[in-house]
Amino acid sequence: MNESLLLPALLMLALLSALHAKVNVYDAFVKGAKEGLATAVEIAPYLAAVLTAVALLRETGLMDAAQRACAPLLTALGLPAESVGTILLRPLSGSAALASVADVLKTAGPDSRAARLCCVISGASETVFFTGSLYLGAAGVRRSRYAVPVSLAAYAVGVLAAALIVR
Amino acid sequence: MDMNGVFCALLLVGVMYAAATGQADAAQRALLSGGTQAVELCLSLAGAYAFFGGLMGLIRESGLAAGLAAALRRPLFRLLRFELGEEAALPDICLNLSADMLGMGNAATPAGLRAMRTMADAHGRDGRASDAMLLFLVLNTTSVQLLPTTMIALRAQAGSASPADIVLPTLLVTAAATGCGVALCRLYAARKRGRRR
Repeated sequence: MNESLLLPALLMLALLSALHAKVNVYDAFVKGAKEGLATAVEIAPYLAAVLTAVALLRETGLMDAAQRACAPLLTALGLPAESVGTILLRPLSGSAALASVADVLKTAGPDSRAARLCCVISGASETVFFTGSLYLGAAGVRRSRYAVPVSLAAYAVGVLAAALIVR
Repeated sequence: MDMNGVFCALLLVGVMYAAATGQADAAQRALLSGGTQAVELCLSLAGAYAFFGGLMGLIRESGLAAGLAAALRRPLFRLLRFELGEEAALPDICLNLSADMLGMGNAATPAGLRAMRTMADAHGRDGRASDAMLLFLVLNTTSVQLLPTTMIALRAQAGSASPADIVLPTLLVTAAATGCGVALCRLYAARKRGRRR
């Protein structure tokens, strides 16, 4: 299958159903694009904070040391050492995960197994702690029972599944 | 565990490690380059975000998103096993999860929070999370997004030969994690009922 067909095909589907619904396609696209651009601006300060921390760990060699230390465990699970930052940061923060994936894309190459694995892990999961506290807080929940253990266990299963699926 | 603690820990450990290994130069270089990298990353992502935003605009305005929300109604009603009164949250739950599937985070969150409040109100906001509330939360924390738009954009700007080749593996991993989350919720809920008897 040629994956490059995916976006054009999706656009075609959206276009045809917009025409069918007699929607002004141009206006709808521009309105959405405006929101997309706003998102890119909104995440900038968060990325600045996290990329500063990641650059510090990278430039001082601490990231490499952490990767070497975790390598035996990760290798045993079928995961490349470079993925340790992404795996640890993903449940904590979306921008931290984005920063660490961008770092792996740059250092290991965008089509390396490590980079594809980090993209899959990051794209297939959520910020467990942030989402959990936001949703439980909104409902005034004091006893969250099994919410966090189940979410983290599901994340761990996702990481292991990614190690099996991404070759 | 919040982001403030993580950020402070990363900075503290980084600076202390630089001091202990005599790498003031490297630390200074890193501190001055992080912000630049962030701005460059945002600029290079902005174009793709504009396209994906436009695509999502079409999906929303053409009624495809509402159609997805309507299609989710019956399966979600069966899956969530509401307690009495909680089913009032179903429209918001459908809205939240359909927006999550399409990657419209901004539309998903307000509906999700409304749904949680509605379910909490059904048992008088007693500070307890019901099984339906927890399963709904787990669906939100395991991600149900169908198209990993940010990762595709990131790969495209990094010069990948095939930015979208992660779509199928991402879907499989999402399905595995979400399936596992649902199964574990069921297991916990069943164990609780077993103890009560």
